[in-house]
Amino acid sequence: MKSIETDVVIIGGGVTGAGTFRDCLIRGIPAVLVEKNDLASGTTGRNHGLLHSGARYAVKDSASAVECIGENRILKKIARHCIEDTGGLFVALDDDDPAYSDKLIVSCRSAGIACREITRQEALQIEPNLNPQIVRAFTVPDATIDPFRLVSANVLDARERGGQVYTHTRVCRIMTGPEGVTGVQCQNRLTGEIFEIRARVVANASGVWGEKVCRATGIEMKMFPSKGSLIIFDYRVNRVVVNACRMPADADIFVPGDTVSLIGTTSRKIAYEDIDTAEVEEEEIAVLLEGAERLVPNVSKTRLLRAYCGVRPLISLEKGTVDGRAISRGIVLVDHEDRDGLKGLISVAGGKLMTYRLMAEKTTDLICHKLDRTDPCTTNSLPLPGSETKGRVPARRNQFKGISASVIGSTQYRHGERVHQILKSDRKNDGLICECEMVTAGEVEYALQHLNVEDIVDLRRRTRLGMGPCQGTLCACRATSFFIDLKKISGEKANQMLVDFIEERWKGIKPILWGDALRETEFSYWIHQGLISTKKKSETPDEV
Amino acid sequence: MINLDNISFDHCIKCTVCTVYCPVARVTHLYPGPKFSGPDTERLRIKNPDLLDDSLKYCSNCKRCEIVCPSDVNIADIIRLASANNPKRKLSLRDLILSSTDLIGQVATRTAVIVNWTMKLSPLRRLMQLILGLSHERAFPQYASSSFSKWAVGLIQTQETYPEKVVYFHGCYVNYNDPDLGKSVVQVLNRLNIGVVTTAEKCCGIPLISNNRLEEAKKHARHNIDVLKKAVGDSDMKIVLTSSSCCLALDHEYENLLEMDTTSIQGQIELITKFLYEAFEQEETPSLKPLNLTVAYHAPCHLERMGGVVYTVELLKKIPGLNLRFLHSECCGISGTYGFKEENYAISQAIGQNLFDQINDLKPDLVVTDCETCKWQIEFNTAYQVVHPITLLAKAMGCQNILKTGEKKTGS
Amino acid sequence: MRFDSIIIGGGIAGLTCAIRCAEEGLSCAVISSGMSALHFASGSIDLLGRFPGDSVVTDPFERIPEFINLNPDHPYSRCGEKAIADSLHYFADQLQQQSLQLCDNGRRNHFHLTTYGTLTPTYLSQKSVYSPDLEKAFFENQKIALISFEGFRDFHVPLISANLPGQTLFQNRQVTTGTVDLSPLIRSLKNPHEFRSIDISRMLETDEDLQKIADSINELAGDAGIIGLPACLGFIHHNHVYEKLQGLVGRPVYEIPTLPPSILGMRLDHALKTRFSNLGGVFIAGDKVVRGEMQSERMIGVYTENHGKTLLKAGSVVLATGSFFSGGLISNSAGIREPVFNLDLAYEKDRKQWAGGLFFQPESHQFLEFGVKTNERLNPFDHSGHPIDNLYCAGAILAGYNPIREGSGGGVAISTGYYAAEKIISRTASTGAATP
Repeated sequence: MKSIETDVVIIGGGVTGAGTFRDCLIRGIPAVLVEKNDLASGTTGRNHGLLHSGARYAVKDSASAVECIGENRILKKIARHCIEDTGGLFVALDDDDPAYSDKLIVSCRSAGIACREITRQEALQIEPNLNPQIVRAFTVPDATIDPFRLVSANVLDARERGGQVYTHTRVCRIMTGPEGVTGVQCQNRLTGEIFEIRARVVANASGVWGEKVCRATGIEMKMFPSKGSLIIFDYRVNRVVVNACRMPADADIFVPGDTVSLIGTTSRKIAYEDIDTAEVEEEEIAVLLEGAERLVPNVSKTRLLRAYCGVRPLISLEKGTVDGRAISRGIVLVDHEDRDGLKGLISVAGGKLMTYRLMAEKTTDLICHKLDRTDPCTTNSLPLPGSETKGRVPARRNQFKGISASVIGSTQYRHGERVHQILKSDRKNDGLICECEMVTAGEVEYALQHLNVEDIVDLRRRTRLGMGPCQGTLCACRATSFFIDLKKISGEKANQMLVDFIEERWKGIKPILWGDALRETEFSYWIHQGLISTKKKSETPDEV
Repeated sequence: MINLDNISFDHCIKCTVCTVYCPVARVTHLYPGPKFSGPDTERLRIKNPDLLDDSLKYCSNCKRCEIVCPSDVNIADIIRLASANNPKRKLSLRDLILSSTDLIGQVATRTAVIVNWTMKLSPLRRLMQLILGLSHERAFPQYASSSFSKWAVGLIQTQETYPEKVVYFHGCYVNYNDPDLGKSVVQVLNRLNIGVVTTAEKCCGIPLISNNRLEEAKKHARHNIDVLKKAVGDSDMKIVLTSSSCCLALDHEYENLLEMDTTSIQGQIELITKFLYEAFEQEETPSLKPLNLTVAYHAPCHLERMGGVVYTVELLKKIPGLNLRFLHSECCGISGTYGFKEENYAISQAIGQNLFDQINDLKPDLVVTDCETCKWQIEFNTAYQVVHPITLLAKAMGCQNILKTGEKKTGS
Repeated sequence: MRFDSIIIGGGIAGLTCAIRCAEEGLSCAVISSGMSALHFASGSIDLLGRFPGDSVVTDPFERIPEFINLNPDHPYSRCGEKAIADSLHYFADQLQQQSLQLCDNGRRNHFHLTTYGTLTPTYLSQKSVYSPDLEKAFFENQKIALISFEGFRDFHVPLISANLPGQTLFQNRQVTTGTVDLSPLIRSLKNPHEFRSIDISRMLETDEDLQKIADSINELAGDAGIIGLPACLGFIHHNHVYEKLQGLVGRPVYEIPTLPPSILGMRLDHALKTRFSNLGGVFIAGDKVVRGEMQSERMIGVYTENHGKTLLKAGSVVLATGSFFSGGLISNSAGIREPVFNLDLAYEKDRKQWAGGLFFQPESHQFLEFGVKTNERLNPFDHSGHPIDNLYCAGAILAGYNPIREGSGGGVAISTGYYAAEKIISRTASTGAATP
C-alpha cells in the first residue's frame, strides 16, 4: 500500500479545509488535503456567496457582526479576484417592523459597520429595480464572494508551496496508535486505490460531515443540519446586495453573483441521514420567489436557471436546540485531546464562508501548538494567487490582441492575474467552449492541468462552464473531448462523466421547470437524446 | 443597469440560428455574430459595462437575426443599445456627416450640380477616405436640384379638395435625391381620389440610430410623432411611406428601441404598397396598362422584418404583362450608411455578391425594391436600373413622366 | 389578403402540409416565427426507432399496425398506416425535385452514426449519410478514417473513436483519426471565438479551399477505404461539394451529424422552402400569429404581430407551431397553454409530474408528450369541447407522442402535415372554396 508522510492531514476540501491547508503551508508545515468529492462541492459552494458586512447579524449577534466586518476588510485585500465590492442595501417595506431599522443603525455603529440611512430616491438610484414601495433604506459595506474561486485559489497557493491534494478520495478510517492519531487510510473513489497518509495531526474540517468523521473514531460530535435553499436567476437582476430590513427570515437576501443573481435562503431542519440527499421542496420555491419579488418586483419576468440547497454545519454542544437559525454561526474549534482524550485529532466547524480565514487561522494556531511550533499567521495580509495586484488586473492588451473584451474580462473575473497564463493570442486556445460564460479552450486546459479537475462537474466549479442559460447543452460534449485528450480517459468513462454532468445540472433545473427553463430543457433533450444519442449505447444493432 | 421591462435576451436558448443567417458573420471573421454580440455578452455587460466588445460595430442592423430567431429575442436592438450606451463611445466626424441626412440633404440640393459633379472625382473621394473614413470606392447618391418638400408646398390647395386624404412621410431620399418618386406617389393616390398631405417632417432617425446617436434620434422621433399627430388629428387617417427603412423607424424603432410613446399614431403607419393593396382590395383595382417587362424583385431586410414584402409582391402581381421574378432573400450589404464606411466597404460588397450574381444571371429589364439604399447598392454593383414599386405602378396607371428606362440615377 | 390555407409554423410539418396544398393549386401562406427545429435536428427522418419497452425497431412498417393498436391516441393512429407510407414517399419525392436525395433501406430502418460515436436507428437519410452504396463501401472496407477540422468544437473525433469500439458494427475495424489544419485557409485571425459547422461548410463551398482541404484529408486518411467527416460538406451547394470531394479523395465519404447548427437539417429546411416558393406559396418569415378570428364556429383568418389590424383570411388554418422551444406551447409555474387559439390541451396539471428524476431515465418525461388534443381529422377542440372543423394541427404541437424516445419525430411531422393537407384538399374540393 502506498504511504505518504506528512505532518498534517486535513479532511475536507471546503473553504475551511482549503484555508487551513494554505495557512499550514504558508507557515511551513507540510500538509495533505483529502476531499471525498470535489473542492467546494459541499456547503461551501451552496450558499449566497455573500461577503457579509456583518449588518445582517448586528441586531441579534454582535460578536458575529464584529467578526464579519473584520474579515470583510481583510478579504477585500487578499482575495480581490474572488470578490466584487458591490455594496449592499437594507430596505424596509411597510409591513416590516420599524423598530428593527432603528436597532440596525445602532447595532451597526457599535460593531463598527458603516451603515447610513439614505432616501428612497437615493436607494432607487443605486438599485433601479428595487421595489418602489420601500419606506426606509440603509447602505452597508456588503459585497459578494465567489466560493469556488476562493477555495481554488487557496488550494492553488498551498499546492504551489508544496502541499498535496487528493480529491475524490474518501477517508476509510482514522489510524490510531498508543500516542493517539497516526494518520488516515484513504481510497481514491475514481481508481479504487487504497493508500495511507501518516501524519501527527488530523484536522477534521469536513463541516456537517464531521459528525461521521468523529464517529469513525468513536467520538460523538452532534451536528444539527439545517437545509438552506436558493434560486438562481438567469442574469444579474440587481447590482448591489439587497437585504430585507427585518429579523433574519426566509428569502431575505438578494445577491448578485458574477453573471447571475441569487435569492435565499430558507432554513429547514433535516435529519442527519438526509444530508447527502437533501432536495429543494416546492414549498421553498414559492417562498423564495415571493421573497425575491418583494425586494425586486420585476424579477417575476426573469428566467429561473436553477434551484439548489446546502446544509449548514451547525454544531451545538448544548442540548435541545430546535430551530437551526437559533444557533450561533460562530466558530467551533474542538481539540479532541482535551474533550475526548484522543491526541492529534482536532475538529473545526460552524462559522461562515466569509470567516473561513479566521477559522483557518485559529485551526492552524492549534495545529502549531500540537506540533510545538510558533510560526505566526500571515494570511491576513498575504494575497491569494490571482489577487497580487491591487485593483482589477490591467490587461496587457498586446498579449490579448484579437480576444474579445468580454472574454478577457470573464477570464480575469475568474482567475485574476492568472489570466496571463490562460489567454494567448492563438486561435485554438481562444475558441469558446462554454459560450454562455465565455470559457475558452485555454481556460479548460489550464483548469485541467492546474486546478485539480477530475470531471466536468469539477471543471464547472473552477470555470463556470455550464453555469449559464444553456446549462451545459452546448459545452458538455466539447468539454468531454478535453478529458479524453488530456486525461486519456476511456470512452466508457467519458460517457459516464458526460451523463453525470447533465444529471447534476438536471437536479437544479427540475424544481423550476417551466417557462424558458422548460424550453431550454426540451432543446437540451433534443441535443443529448436525439441528435447525439448520448445514452443509447446498448442499442447497437448486430446487423444493419 | 438593465431595465427589467426589456429583457428579450433572457429568452435565448442558445440555438445558434441567428449566427448562421447573419450576413456579416457569413463574410467576415471580424464579427463574431449576433448570438455572441447580443444575448451572450448582454449578460456580461449587465454585470460590467466595460465588457463591451469593439466588434459590435460590425453589426449592420439588417435585423435578419430577429427574423430567424425562434425565441423572440430582439437581437439587433440589444446590439444597437449596447453600442449606443457605450460610455467610451466617441462620435466621429464621418458618422456625424453620414447620419445627418437632413442637414447634408438641404445643403446638397441647393448646390446639387456641384456636389454631384465633385463627388464623382476620384481624388476627392480618396481625400474623403483619408480624412473621414468614407470608402473612396463607393459612389455617392446624386442630389436633386430642388427638394420634394418644396414642390409639395405648391400642392396644398389642390390636395385639400379630395374627400379622403393620407399623410405622406416621404423621407430624406425622396426629398433630396428622388423627388420624382414622391411626385408619382401623389399622382397615383390622386388617381384613386385620395389627397396627399405632407408635414414638416425630419429625418426618421434610422441613420442616427445606426450611428449610435440615440438621443438625437429621440429628438427626431418626438418631432415626427408631434407633426404626424397634428396632421392626423383624431382621425384614423393613414400615414404612408415609400421607404421601408423610414417605415421601420416609425412603426418599430420609435416604440421598441427609442421607447417613445407612439399611441397617437399607432396602427396608422403603413408602407405605401400595403396601403394601395388594401385600397385595391376594398374598392376596385384601377385599370392598369400592361407593362411588358421582366423585373427582379429584391425584398429589403427591413421590409422583411416588418412583414411587408407580401403586399409589395401582391401589388406588383396585379400589373398585367409584368414578368415578376423573385430574387432569393439576401441582404444587399449596404444597410443604410454601413456600407459607406471605409472599414465596412469590403464586407458590404461581399455580403451583396450573391444578390448581384443572381441579378446578373437573371438579366431583368429592371430591378424593383422598396428601399433607397438597396437601390444604390444594386445600381453601384450591377448594370441594372433599380426602381421603386410605385414607379412601376404609376407607369401602369398611365401617370406622366415616369420611368425613363435605361437611365441610371446613381453616379459612376 | 386571403388564402385557401394558412399554415402557422414553418417547420417540417408545416412545410410538408404547405407544399402538398400548394401543389394542388391552393393559394397558401406559411407564417413562421423564426427558424424551425430542423436547425438542430439530425437531418435524417426517423419513423419509428424504438418500441415501448425500449426495443430497437428494424422494420418500422411491420411494427406500425401493432404500434397503432397499442397507442390509439398517437398521431400515427390518426393518420393510419397508408397515409404514413404515402407521406414519406411524397416527402422524399418533393425533396428530390430540389436535388436533395433521401435514401432508405428498403422498408427497414438503417443506423446512422452520431457525434457521440453511438448508432441510432432512422428511416430516411441524405445520401451522404446513408445510401446502399455507402453501406456496401462500409462493409467492404476494414479501414475507416475519421477526420475533423482543427478548432472545430462541435464534432469530437476523440469522443467518437473512444465510443466506437463498443459498437458491434465497428468491432475489429481499424479507425484512423486526423484533424485538418485550416489555419492556412482562415483569412482573418481576429475573432477566434466562433467557429461552427456553417463556417466550414462555407469554406468547402469555395472550390479553391475545397481542393486544399481535400488534399489534407487525403493525406490524413492514409489507406482507409472510407472516410467519415463532420456534416458540413456544403449547405446550398452540398451536391457539388459532396461529389467533388469524393472525386478528389478518390473514395467514399460519409457525413456524421454535428452539434448545432445542423447543416443536414438546414439543407432540408432550405429545400422545403424553395420547393414551396417554386409552387407559388407565400412564406412570411419572422412574424407571429397572435390570434384567430372565428365566425360561426369556423376559423376565418388570423391576426399577426406584423400585420396588425389586417386580418389574413383563410379557408383553412393549420397549426404547426411545434412544442415548447418553438413557442407552440407556453408554460409557467401555473400551467400550460397554447398561445394562438387557446386550444384544449392534454397535459398533467401537477407540475411535479412533468419530468422524471433523471434526465436520461429510460421512461419518457411527460412534458414531451403534452400538446393539443384533436379528433380523428386532426381538428382541435375549443374550450366548449367542439372541434373546429377547418383548423388542423400537425407536428410537435400534437399531444400523445414522444418524438425522441420513440424515434418518430420526423415521421409524425411529415405524416400529420400531409394528412392535414389531404383533409384540406378534399374539403376545398367538396365545398368549392378555392380562391376567387
